Amino acid sequence: MTLTPSILGAGVIPPVLILILCLVAGIGTVFLLPSRKEASLRKIGGVVLLAAGLIFVAFLVRASAQVEGMGVYFWAFSTIALVGASRVVTHPKPVYSALYFILTVFATAGLFVLLWAEFMAAALVLIYAGAILVTYVFVIMLASDSGSHGAGALGGLAEHDAVSREPVIAAAVGYSMMGMLLFAIFEKAEPIIHSPAVPKGTVEQLGRYLFRNQLVNLELSGLILTIAMVGAIVIARRRVYVAGNTLGSPEVVVSPATPVDDNPHSIPVVGTTNPRQKAFPET
Amino acid sequence: MLELQHYLAVGAIMFGIGLIGFMTRRNLIVMFLCTELMFQGVAINMVAFGHFWGNLAGQAFVIFILVIAAAEASLALGLVVLLFRQKGTLDADAWRELKG
Repeated sequence: MTLTPSILGAGVIPPVLILILCLVAGIGTVFLLPSRKEASLRKIGGVVLLAAGLIFVAFLVRASAQVEGMGVYFWAFSTIALVGASRVVTHPKPVYSALYFILTVFATAGLFVLLWAEFMAAALVLIYAGAILVTYVFVIMLASDSGSHGAGALGGLAEHDAVSREPVIAAAVGYSMMGMLLFAIFEKAEPIIHSPAVPKGTVEQLGRYLFRNQLVNLELSGLILTIAMVGAIVIARRRVYVAGNTLGSPEVVVSPATPVDDNPHSIPVVGTTNPRQKAFPET
Repeated sequence: MLELQHYLAVGAIMFGIGLIGFMTRRNLIVMFLCTELMFQGVAINMVAFGHFWGNLAGQAFVIFILVIAAAEASLALGLVVLLFRQKGTLDADAWRELKG
């Protein structure tokens, strides 16, 4: 990393341009969001959004005046990440949203590698794409509504997937916030004088840092994970009866556990003398 | 030369996209996916700041972000399954009576 001050000073991207681009992108997003509009309108919205993004990228590239070496990877990864992110939001089917989110995660991991944060890239892929997204896809498959309310205009989709809620207001809020952030980033930023010893983020250095400076936080995060696990089990369980099982009987005939009611606060009872236990339905 | 502002811009745009999605989408699962998008935008900011300031605090923060995201995903998906059992739909508008 060089010691040169930031090339991107004030005035690289004028605020008017940011405003106009956010407006255009907002209009494109409103058209692209799932609704009862025709497919051609949504395609036009996608093209408008893409055009706004490309103009923004063009101005940035002209300001940085160098697209070679590591720069190419940055532009490729960030483009993939942002296109994937907008498809997560605008795709009407939840499964496709989850798949595009995996694409975004991989592209973000690429950005982390460019920032010498290899361990964070690996952890991101393992935890997000490996663990969290698999759980999401499981829940999507498990809790899928029978989207057969009408195979007409909605195309077999459930109504709450096919029609979004207040797209104009949401796009206005989101893009005004995005515009303010970009304005602050490109106009008000002061150049960072890079510190001479930029640590290449090796796992060893990161581990030393974590266990020397952040030990309590690390232990607390482990505690949070344990509490979340217990909480998830408590939230998602339901009462099951195991027929034919009484305490003290040597031979236990266990039939498949069948849910009796959907009371989430019930506890699983196995033939005890629990006062909250109902009588067995059949036996 | 790539500057800090490039990465901050990517993070800001990703956060904004996630925010829009959280407000417009009505499927509970997609709403939580959009929260994860916002987490990603913040994580890019953290790692970029840590890299350009030359310390490891940013990456340590991203580890804690990952912990919170994992805890949030497990609890949120448990809640989604619970809500789906009650009403038989993933529509967030089915729980309109919850608004105060």
